[in-house]
Amino acid sequence: MIKKMSKLLALTSCAALALLASTANAVQTTKLALVTGGPHPYFAAWAQAGKDAARDFKLGAADYKVPPKWELGEQNSLLESLTSQGYNAFLIFPGDSVGSVSTVAELVGNGATVVAGAGCFKDPSKAQFCLGTDTGNSAYLGAKELIRALKGKKRIVHFTGFLVDPNTQLRIDAVAKAAKEGGAEVVQVIADIDAPEPATEKINAFLATRAGDIDGIITTAWVPAVVASGSLRKIGDKRIKMVGIDHDEVVLKAVKDGFVTGTMLQNPYGQGYIGAYALDRLRNGCTLKASAPWKTNALTNRFVDSGTVFVDAKQIDGYVDAMQGITKTIFAKFQDTYLDCKK
Amino acid sequence: MNSIQPTQLARVEPEVAQSTRRLPNFVLTNEFGLLILIIAFAILFSLQNENFLSRFNLFALSRNLAIYALVGMAMMAVIVTGGLNLAIGAIGVCAAMLFGWTNQVVGLHWSVSVVLGLSLATALGAVNGWLVVKTGIHSFVITLATMSIFFGLMVFMTQAQSFRGLSPEVINFGKSKILNSFSPLLLMAIVAGVMLSTMYKFTALGREMLAAGATPEAAELSGVSVGRTFMYCHMLSAFLAGFTALLLTSRYGAAIPSMAGQLGQDWLLPAFLGPVLGGTILTGGRVSVLGTFLGATLVVTLTNGLLMLQVGEFWVQTVLGVLLLLAVLGDKARRHYLMQRGLA
Repeated sequence: MIKKMSKLLALTSCAALALLASTANAVQTTKLALVTGGPHPYFAAWAQAGKDAARDFKLGAADYKVPPKWELGEQNSLLESLTSQGYNAFLIFPGDSVGSVSTVAELVGNGATVVAGAGCFKDPSKAQFCLGTDTGNSAYLGAKELIRALKGKKRIVHFTGFLVDPNTQLRIDAVAKAAKEGGAEVVQVIADIDAPEPATEKINAFLATRAGDIDGIITTAWVPAVVASGSLRKIGDKRIKMVGIDHDEVVLKAVKDGFVTGTMLQNPYGQGYIGAYALDRLRNGCTLKASAPWKTNALTNRFVDSGTVFVDAKQIDGYVDAMQGITKTIFAKFQDTYLDCKK
Repeated sequence: MNSIQPTQLARVEPEVAQSTRRLPNFVLTNEFGLLILIIAFAILFSLQNENFLSRFNLFALSRNLAIYALVGMAMMAVIVTGGLNLAIGAIGVCAAMLFGWTNQVVGLHWSVSVVLGLSLATALGAVNGWLVVKTGIHSFVITLATMSIFFGLMVFMTQAQSFRGLSPEVINFGKSKILNSFSPLLLMAIVAGVMLSTMYKFTALGREMLAAGATPEAAELSGVSVGRTFMYCHMLSAFLAGFTALLLTSRYGAAIPSMAGQLGQDWLLPAFLGPVLGGTILTGGRVSVLGTFLGATLVVTLTNGLLMLQVGEFWVQTVLGVLLLLAVLGDKARRHYLMQRGLA
């Protein structure tokens, strides 16, 4: 069902956005690569977004490229190779927010245009801007939703991603802030577990020994959300409330069945589609508006929030509409808001 | 930089005699087989895609080759003992982060920071070596543990923050080009390779390392302090890991905790591929610096070429593995053929 919903999301997004896209009369010179940091289900929507963008904006190419491993070196090798192959526009999830900056400078020095997608490069960088989820805000809102769902004691545990990812510290701080404001206690933060093996081991070990010590779980990375959702289902105790992240089938089903309170959705399709559109426009004479309402996060002051929304069991069936709505809203105003295009 | 074996510890007559046939002998070596493969693949890839030999691609190739070759040499320095150093990535990152901190935050001159970074790496290598020698536990286990300890301490102390405000000399070095086509990192790797090769071939310490790795008991009886020599091997390995990390810092223009991946594990595969393809024996006692360099060259060439041919990214690893296996088997067949005809 979730797969069908995903297809529906893609198809309806195409149909809805094609009309808006008709204003984009780009020359077919843009050869775009949408490059992730490594294999991860979060980015699957970028593939369809690239195809839709290539068709709607008549791009020379908009290919989804995934480094075989989450290694900065692997991503750099892929980017260097793509540049040698003639790709001239890149939507990149940074392998490292600082370490990738020098590679971006080389790509731009070779005539390419770069936008950061889903994660940002640390300023200063040669990337035009960053289109992604405001991770700190998403974690903060998710923690607020969790605390709202808790009755009585408010002892929570936070499962999150790799410590080498600067976003992880932002998420930890945001959850701590929400907990402080909501009178909750963060009993423990378990990080470095955005991979199946460590997530399964550490989350299950924690729940086996300390489930009675907590009332809520907040997860701010994909894999921990999936593992924790599955563990709560196995335990079968709905006393512990949980707020997850993203739209993995396991998490969505757990929300629907009441094992998870809700999940913080992000907008990967919108990042891919709007990022491709922006890159093409920038390659065809548009420039960034200095006066645009750029947001600021810990990494950059040219940030565009691609949207995040909390969905619970009541809203879960309509999550496709929710994300599609955000994409349409951003896209409809993107050129006027962020770009200066001379006719 | 040919293969070096402990038999060279005693310079026996037949070997001197063989030196007169050095050039023909090279044709029969593992290194020659690798060289032929590299040339063949380079020709194939350049015929398939003219951009393979573009300046941009050559620069990228040379830079990647430098790193692969150096991590290969770092691993080779411990493989010579019959051991392994799984902590090379973690040690390298520790050195880079200390370099970044002392250069950016403390404000030391970059050269002083380089010395401090390399000193830390060497000290961590000494810890590994000391633990291996004193406990008698295989270096696989020791370095598996220290990999987590070193990396964990580094993340704790730096809070996973990068150091980006480095001296311009450091940043400019990583960006600079030789003949507008090659990275100076490659030159550094070549210099390191020549120095290593010289050490193994012409110094007492190098020959003691080979002898201790080949047959520790015999080496001990010959007066070699095997424990101390093994410790030196770990220190050398760690020094090279630190050196690699400092070059990477220059390439990235920043000291970043993720430069070698989670726990520094990203370096492990290239660290093994170079030496093993190059003819370094895992049981110890024999190294080939040139072979390690050529092994790294083959891996980098194949990876780059396959990406240029737009082989799916996920297939690159598979195809790379298959081609490497074929390369090794082909080399074995070549040597078998030569032996049957009395040429080897």
